[in-house]
Amino acid sequence: MRGALFALALLPWAGMASAQSMRPFSTFRQQHGETRLRANLQYAAGVLRLSAGPAAELYRMDVSYDQDRFVPRSEYDAARGEVLLGVETAGRGGLRVVSQNQLRQIAHVSFSPDIDLALDVGLGAVDAELELGGLRLTDLNLETGASRAVIRFSQPNGARCRSAQFSAGAAELSVIGLGNSRCDRIDFQGGVGKVALDFGGSWTASSEVEVRMAMGELTLRLPRQVGVRISLDKFLSAFEPAGLVRRGDSFESPGYDRASRHLDIAVTTAVGQVRVEWEK
Amino acid sequence: MPTLSRVLAATVLLLPCAGRVAQAEMGNGPTRSATVSMVRNFWALVSDVSALTHPQALSQASRAQAQPIPAAPPGGPSIDLSNISNTTAVERELERSLANKGSNLRLTVPRGSAWQGNYSLSSDESHPGDLLVVSGNADIAGKLLGNLVTVNGDVTVREGGLVSGDILTLGGTVHGDGEIGGEVRSFPSTSVLTPKSVATVAAPAASALQLTFGRIAGVIGVFLTLSALGFGLVMFGRPNLEVVSDTVAHSFGRAFITGLLGQILLLPTFGMLVVGLILSVAGILLLPFAVVVYTLLVIIAALGGYLAVAHAMGETYVRRRMALGAVIGSPNSYRYLLIGIAALASLWLAWAIFGWVPVAGDLIRGAAFLVTWLLGTAGFGAALLSRAGIRENFAGRLIPPEALTDEYLWATPQFGVPAARRPGTRTPTRGL
Repeated sequence: MRGALFALALLPWAGMASAQSMRPFSTFRQQHGETRLRANLQYAAGVLRLSAGPAAELYRMDVSYDQDRFVPRSEYDAARGEVLLGVETAGRGGLRVVSQNQLRQIAHVSFSPDIDLALDVGLGAVDAELELGGLRLTDLNLETGASRAVIRFSQPNGARCRSAQFSAGAAELSVIGLGNSRCDRIDFQGGVGKVALDFGGSWTASSEVEVRMAMGELTLRLPRQVGVRISLDKFLSAFEPAGLVRRGDSFESPGYDRASRHLDIAVTTAVGQVRVEWEK
Repeated sequence: MPTLSRVLAATVLLLPCAGRVAQAEMGNGPTRSATVSMVRNFWALVSDVSALTHPQALSQASRAQAQPIPAAPPGGPSIDLSNISNTTAVERELERSLANKGSNLRLTVPRGSAWQGNYSLSSDESHPGDLLVVSGNADIAGKLLGNLVTVNGDVTVREGGLVSGDILTLGGTVHGDGEIGGEVRSFPSTSVLTPKSVATVAAPAASALQLTFGRIAGVIGVFLTLSALGFGLVMFGRPNLEVVSDTVAHSFGRAFITGLLGQILLLPTFGMLVVGLILSVAGILLLPFAVVVYTLLVIIAALGGYLAVAHAMGETYVRRRMALGAVIGSPNSYRYLLIGIAALASLWLAWAIFGWVPVAGDLIRGAAFLVTWLLGTAGFGAALLSRAGIRENFAGRLIPPEALTDEYLWATPQFGVPAARRPGTRTPTRGL
């Protein structure tokens, strides 16, 4: 009798255990002389790592996904030179928030360093680390939900980037080495969260940056080799213009006018704090 | 017999080696090809004989030697491999087509072919159209002009080999230095052709039983959880619980209407709260705190109200029994709650036991849901009316608490009027 009761008590747990099954999936495409690629990476939940891959492969994705709730996507349109990669919900929706198992879903994505890449990334509840250094990025569009994301440009971008757009919901986002991104224009739009924009790296041209943030903490880590100007539109936000000189409605680094390259940052924030740090 | 088993085992062990040997010999001139064909035919004969004498060896034998899968008759299973980008759909279709077929497998691949066992395409060969390989590896040294799908097998595209289309492996991986014109997708594991997919057909009886036990366990779990919460409520908030309980008992209709309105206004109120806090500028900082508090209050009101309903039901039942002369050991709030929660759980228990019955199961579930919602709404309304048990206006407590003596509360003594009540009269449900 006691055994039967014990078995009865274990039944729901058995059902739960059987529902958690991770499945590996790999996809890639050999490079056959393509010069450009528009990649749309949609990743609903889990861990995501992105980096440059071998030159012989146009793209590759190795993922271990929760097959009860998600399906992997890998569709290449040769005529348009576009690929859709990622993992999306299988219709049942919802996230496995009862345990850490949700984060066991992990994907490694890589792109060829030889092609001009326009990258659109959509992240849901994701812990992401994107190493974009070494790629030839021409456009970047990143949208995150409730994510923790670190985007790095450890090496200079191999191509000139027209624009980089970051849109974050309730997220913790760090973009490191924006100087290496070689983007003419950088836009950041944030809801709630903690954001760090590091403008380190090797600046080869001037750049315009627009940051709009509703609520949270924004840290701007500025380079010393370029002239920096910050124009601020704030509501209930604190701003510490460390090392900047006020000129009219904006704050400038000493010697801004004499600098050969300029970094103009327009910040609009409602509630929170804007901190300025300088690259060492 | 043991000798026969040993021979069969040796045959099975040697078969994969034979396949490898045959592959290694391919593509080296017509003489070698003839030799390979002869070896293939020989091993095909051996495998056929061993399959006849030992049916269990059939699957492994077929894996070693590629055999064409005959096309299905019109209306039979067919799978189009011209677009394999939707891997889930392809896998589902293959699972359906290949399950429980055994050696009678028939499958049509439009504009292509299907093979069972290790398949190889030598460097001087070409295969027009799509290719499906089941239970075997695909070794491509020649030119495959189409898509390639393998089930429970790896793909090797050798240097100089070509697959012009996409490759999909279900239960396998892709190797080699050959040219692949399309996209490669590989699932190292698959449910196609596994015992699981075969067993799912015969599983319903067992799963229905498991489902029933699972539901019963769920009901018991909810019962225990509510009991624990209720006991905590009695221990730390007994006066409030009793006031809400009395409000339900004395003003059920009013409590239900209030609960219904409360449910309707729940979201608008929340929206107004959020907008108000945002507009008040300073209040925006309180927004996260207010959201959490509002949510907690709603949960407490709903849960506390539901427990109060259970308390009221249990109290009514116990008092009726006492009025009929039954001796109750300890008529207290703990007992009231336990009885009330058991009564509420009994509906769901009925669904847990008989939920598998086609129509009745749905009806029982609907009834259980309706009753639970009705009582929950009344409990929520009572919690609102009584301000979580602070106000006694609707609790029927017209006499000050200090005047509520045992004579009042137990106004239906065991000896007296109720014992000789007139025919047709009701037993009062409460002591007042």
